[in-house]
Amino acid sequence: MSKRYLLVKVVSERPISRDQFGSAVIDSVRRNFGEIGLCRIDPRVVRYDGAESRAIVACRAGAASELQAAVTLISEASGTPIVPLVVGVSGTIKALGKRRSR
Amino acid sequence: MAELLRLAGYSAVGLTIPTGLTRNRITLLRAVFREAGLETALRVDLTSTSRIELLRLLRRFRNSYDVVAVKCVNTRVATVACRDRRVDLIFFDPANRSIRFTHPLANLLRGAIEFNLVSALLNETKAEVFSVIMKQCAIAREHKVRVVLSSGCNHPELVRSASQIAALASAMGLSEMQSLAGVSSTPFSIIERNSARRSPQFVEEGVRIVLPKVR
Repeated sequence: MSKRYLLVKVVSERPISRDQFGSAVIDSVRRNFGEIGLCRIDPRVVRYDGAESRAIVACRAGAASELQAAVTLISEASGTPIVPLVVGVSGTIKALGKRRSR
Repeated sequence: MAELLRLAGYSAVGLTIPTGLTRNRITLLRAVFREAGLETALRVDLTSTSRIELLRLLRRFRNSYDVVAVKCVNTRVATVACRDRRVDLIFFDPANRSIRFTHPLANLLRGAIEFNLVSALLNETKAEVFSVIMKQCAIAREHKVRVVLSSGCNHPELVRSASQIAALASAMGLSEMQSLAGVSSTPFSIIERNSARRSPQFVEEGVRIVLPKVR
């Protein structure tokens, strides 16, 4: 099944771990779209760069807009206020890597 | 905040300025954003409880700002704001139960309706606000009114990228075209039209002074 990948820049005062960010994404999808939405969107953090605070989140191809909306509504991860900024959306991780290096 | 906006990919922002702010303070504020590489458009939010007062405020402030927005607090004010061509944007407080964006108002609207999505949806009473905004989005979609989407942020934590705001609006029920136009072409066209209006060559809608070329 084809996928879409979101490049997310996570701005926070304290560093956030991959697990903390991943559970914040899943919580937001579940809270806003429900369990069925969670299955349909199927979000997964595939890469996380703690030093640069950037994450690549995968989802099903038709659900990129919904995942983006759910990411927009994240305001904290494990009690730490965060600002998740979606910098790019692509069909391959390689293309996002190019965008990241720009 | 300016740096965060730049990081989110913006090239221009609308600054809501209180009406009492001096020209020096405004210049300083614009300089902060210019240093971060952001263009600024000055915007004023007018709030009034009577139509007479709203018309007075419009006479007074229309020519001083790039964008004039009216907060609709009751039906009389909303009706005037929708009809008046000096009004660029109207917006509603989702928490205010006494006034909603309705079909008659959508028919009257000459400007655009603004949805402050992020600030409205990150507050406590989210389900209620979701419901109100979804109804307003459905009306806007049905009547094909012009929509402007904004984060309505007054704090760095509320900054989101334009594509995120468009995605959120799509999830709220706006069409994809309306959502994307709401963060790009619609606000840009409002600013462009108003800057043309404020130029000395402008006479009236569709009429401007053209100076002969000097040879």
